Amino acid sequence: MTNTDKSPTIESVAPVETLSASTTRRGLIQSAAGLAAAGTVIGRVNVVRAAADNPVKIGFIEDESGNLSIYGIQKLHAAQLAVKEINEGFTLAGGPVGSGCLGTMGLYAPTSPTVTSGPGAALNIINDGGQPSDHAIVTADTQEILIPSGEKGLLGRPVNLLSSDGQSNNTLWQQLARRMIQQDKVDVLVAGFASAEREAIRPIVDQRKQLYFYTNQYEGGVADEYTFCTGAVCEQQVIPVMQYMVEKFGPKIFTIAANYNFGQLTAAWVRSFAPVLKAKVIGEEFPPLEVSEFSSVIAKVQAAKPDWVMTLLVGQNQSNYYPQAAAAGLHLPMASTVNMAQGYEHKRFTPPSLANMHNAVNYMQEIPTKRNQQFVARFYKMFPKDPYLGQMAQNTYFSIHLYAKAVRLAGTTDQTKVRRTLEAGWAIEAPEGSVFLEPATHHASHFIRLAACNDKNQISFVREWPMIEAWWLQRLGVNLVRHPEYKQYTPAEDPFFKMFG
Amino acid sequence: MGPELASILYQFGTNAAFLLLSALGLIVILGMMNIINLAHGEFMMLGAYAATFAVHRGIPFPLAVIVAFFATALFGIVLERLVIRRFYGRELGALVTTWGISLILAQGALLLFGPYMPSIPIPGGAVSAGAFSFSVYWLILIGISIALVVALTIVYRATSFGLQARATMQNPTMARSLGIRIGRIYMLTFGLGAGLAGLSGALLAPTTSIAPFMGQQFVAPAFITVVVGGGANVIAGAVGSSTFLALIETPVSLTLGTFYGTMALLVMALLIIRVLPAGISSLGGRLKLAAAR
Amino acid sequence: MRRLLHLLNGPHDLGRGPVFWSGMALLGAAFLAYPTVASSFGATNTAYYLLNIPMALGLSLLWGYGGVLSFGQVAFYGIAGYTYGIVAGNLTDVAWGTPVAALVALLMAGLSAAAFGYFVFYGRVAAWIVPILTLVLALLLSTFLGLTAGYQWRVGTVQLGGYNGMTGIPSLQIGGISFQDYAFFYLVVAVVAFCYVALRIWLNAHRGQVLMATREDMLRTELLGYDVRLEQLRAFVLASLLAGVSGLLYVQWGNYITPSAMGLQQAALPVIWVAVGGRDSLLAAAIATFLLNQLTYVLSSSGNQSALVIVGGLLVAVMMFSPDGIIVGLARGRWLSTLRGWRGTARPREATNGQ
Repeated sequence: MTNTDKSPTIESVAPVETLSASTTRRGLIQSAAGLAAAGTVIGRVNVVRAAADNPVKIGFIEDESGNLSIYGIQKLHAAQLAVKEINEGFTLAGGPVGSGCLGTMGLYAPTSPTVTSGPGAALNIINDGGQPSDHAIVTADTQEILIPSGEKGLLGRPVNLLSSDGQSNNTLWQQLARRMIQQDKVDVLVAGFASAEREAIRPIVDQRKQLYFYTNQYEGGVADEYTFCTGAVCEQQVIPVMQYMVEKFGPKIFTIAANYNFGQLTAAWVRSFAPVLKAKVIGEEFPPLEVSEFSSVIAKVQAAKPDWVMTLLVGQNQSNYYPQAAAAGLHLPMASTVNMAQGYEHKRFTPPSLANMHNAVNYMQEIPTKRNQQFVARFYKMFPKDPYLGQMAQNTYFSIHLYAKAVRLAGTTDQTKVRRTLEAGWAIEAPEGSVFLEPATHHASHFIRLAACNDKNQISFVREWPMIEAWWLQRLGVNLVRHPEYKQYTPAEDPFFKMFG
Repeated sequence: MGPELASILYQFGTNAAFLLLSALGLIVILGMMNIINLAHGEFMMLGAYAATFAVHRGIPFPLAVIVAFFATALFGIVLERLVIRRFYGRELGALVTTWGISLILAQGALLLFGPYMPSIPIPGGAVSAGAFSFSVYWLILIGISIALVVALTIVYRATSFGLQARATMQNPTMARSLGIRIGRIYMLTFGLGAGLAGLSGALLAPTTSIAPFMGQQFVAPAFITVVVGGGANVIAGAVGSSTFLALIETPVSLTLGTFYGTMALLVMALLIIRVLPAGISSLGGRLKLAAAR
Repeated sequence: MRRLLHLLNGPHDLGRGPVFWSGMALLGAAFLAYPTVASSFGATNTAYYLLNIPMALGLSLLWGYGGVLSFGQVAFYGIAGYTYGIVAGNLTDVAWGTPVAALVALLMAGLSAAAFGYFVFYGRVAAWIVPILTLVLALLLSTFLGLTAGYQWRVGTVQLGGYNGMTGIPSLQIGGISFQDYAFFYLVVAVVAFCYVALRIWLNAHRGQVLMATREDMLRTELLGYDVRLEQLRAFVLASLLAGVSGLLYVQWGNYITPSAMGLQQAALPVIWVAVGGRDSLLAAAIATFLLNQLTYVLSSSGNQSALVIVGGLLVAVMMFSPDGIIVGLARGRWLSTLRGWRGTARPREATNGQ
């Protein structure tokens, strides 16, 4: 294998110039310049509806191809469903709390919820197979959430969804965001799955003062005047699931988290909250994102003998942990805040890899409430071939409806006015339940349910918290209404995280 | 002490087997034919997809692996005929071209088959020793990787194809004048290398998720193993380097975590390549020289 | 000055003579006039196609003229970007903070290239090992930077950010001018033009000739009295500085950098641009970089999911039919002989004995 890079011929010596060659070259250069000029304006976007005179433009960027496409396509379809409903004259019930919607926690319960824990109890709950379930507890709620908005479209104008595919490529994300903001001049931007993608476009969003919705679950901490984060954050998912797991299985925790921001920061939350719950994290492992071979991790877990394992694994490579652990005979209960609800692992992996997995989710397609089953039916009517309707898709759906409601209330699409209107203290009736958009922190409170997966990959909901606020930024003193900021906080900036250890 | 030792040995074995299996096809293509094949990961992906298709149609897993071997070998032969043969002697051209091929294959798989496929369940269960349990399938893989290396050595040393192939690699002109059809040898060798990559991909398929870009996780380990192994004796070199690198990676992973294990592997590879540019297998030559003095 | 002009018009690149240079002047004028007809988005987008050119020029220098293929250009691109982010983020209150940060960034890129180059070239490794070593370097850096998510990973007040990247990087400000939008476009055009002219002069001068001699026959050059290792190291550092320039321009463009800018996929991109254009010509490398970046954007942004397949196919086609590169092949009128030549009977290089 010894070789040197030598060209086999002497062409590497510089050629003698000929006149004809230079003419072709110059022509080439000039056509290159022309192509350059033309190329920067070519590039159409996918438009959901035919453009009318002055449509309201919702800019949408997700990964429709590439690694994250199983998440991105769900979100795109949910956005398309929302836009279609707006254009057909519908909206979700909601408004500033007290102004006519039920608001958070104000649910009807025409039949009292039934807690089952033994034979002979009355059941009026079904699981996602349609069978009576003795594991799901649900608050009965028959309110109709999709109500007429009183007009087709928004403020008399049709709504267009301008969607682009970021292809999991950060540079392309930046280019697309720029194009949507500067060239297409979208009225609102809804974009981003991974935190890296959000952080890539946030500088542009802030420079151009663009109204931006980030609808994904993430590690929390974004305090940005122009950004509204409607996904669930750590305090809404980590703490509930930990509470349940410690109560049911025991206090010794082993954390396996992806070795990047989301994994490390969420693991910091787990570590700092364990003492509050009288539990202890007895070991931590941070496999890098590229690792797909987990034998040493599995061995460490076995050696540590925890009561349960917190798995914060992200991406295709890391999801190999589950079948490998199952094959190695590791049958410990597991908890996560990421799996099942967005990547639908329980449908993709063969049982029993996800047996005994628990997740505190704000949404899963299997939620048996009437409002959700109707939403699911509407979604699959429009997209019959889709494999799953997940958490982030639902977040996108209600966020777009929320934006439309804010625009209607503001009476304009002017971004500063709409932003201020969004700080009115909104509650919106989403398929998950009531969601409240907190004005000072620009984050949303959520209806959290604890989903448990059995060894046949079936989901049941074993506990619920009807409203959990995103209180962490409040504790940090973030008030974007009075003191605009443009940063992301990390747990290390919060002294609380060291208090109980 | 017993179960802990078994656990450490098991991890060492799985790390080494992973490196060896990743490198298997590349041993032939890079080690023997000097083609820097950046599409190696995608060959493994093709093997994994072929096996997955076969399994989901009811073919038992061992047979599916054989199917994957032949399917990928066939694909390799076609590719060699159409594209690769233009680049003999032009390693860097091969490098760039195979990069383009890898783009086409991975993105094409995404377009054709979607972002994921249902995975193959891991065959075999688990055995336990003390507090630890080990996956039977990985134990089988460790055995299979050794068996494959032995088989490859036998093919190259004891069959007439192997003899012809070695002759062709050493001195093509001479081989041709002796009547060996070197064009066919190249084609079959590349096909063998591709087939082996597909075989490894199929074998590793149950341990990983089946996605279009799954090949990328194997590219770096494969290249590092083959390059560190060196060209003097490619097969022995690859065995030596996978053993040695796993020897470094395993204790670091155990004590400091998987991340530092990977970093240690990369740094060690960098050092070895720098100190021993002809790879570990060149040590064999040097030792012989030293003994002869 | 006359000597410089004479060098500029030297033979070691495509094009020379008054016709060529007036063509180039027209091109330059076209770029300078472009912002008057384009929106600020169009200008920044075109600026993105341009800002990768210095990195490609550096690789062309190193590979085409020096015979050393490096996959590690992106590593120095990233080092410069991150260093600028760190220094500028810490010096936000200082008037001349950002230009100082730019200088420090280039310095870091150069120094780390010198250190790594010393490690590589003074060991006299075989030429084909260098791509692998540099690839491992890029992988090492991107893997390591991906780890740095926690709050403890900060330099001064600036967090490294791990995989989320370093965001909110301040834009370059000299005096009262903040280089955004149209100002940024002009900056990029100026930098690219300067790099091209300077490199071309350098290549036609003595040092460049020595470098090319190194590529053609290392032993002969050494026997003539030159220290080949030093020449290669010099070229490596120069190429890495140019990659650093591109990295610097990139963080100006997006105010953001992430470890994936140094990852496996990114590492191959400069090689692809230069290979497709023609590695032994600066001009060809520049043109190919511009056009390929534009092609990728046009394809991807129009929702075309097969952008990668098309780029891959283009690559394979170019390498098969025009292995010297499209633009070089066209310029030298060689495409006819290349077509004839592709049915050739080349064979794999021999392995060493012992197998």
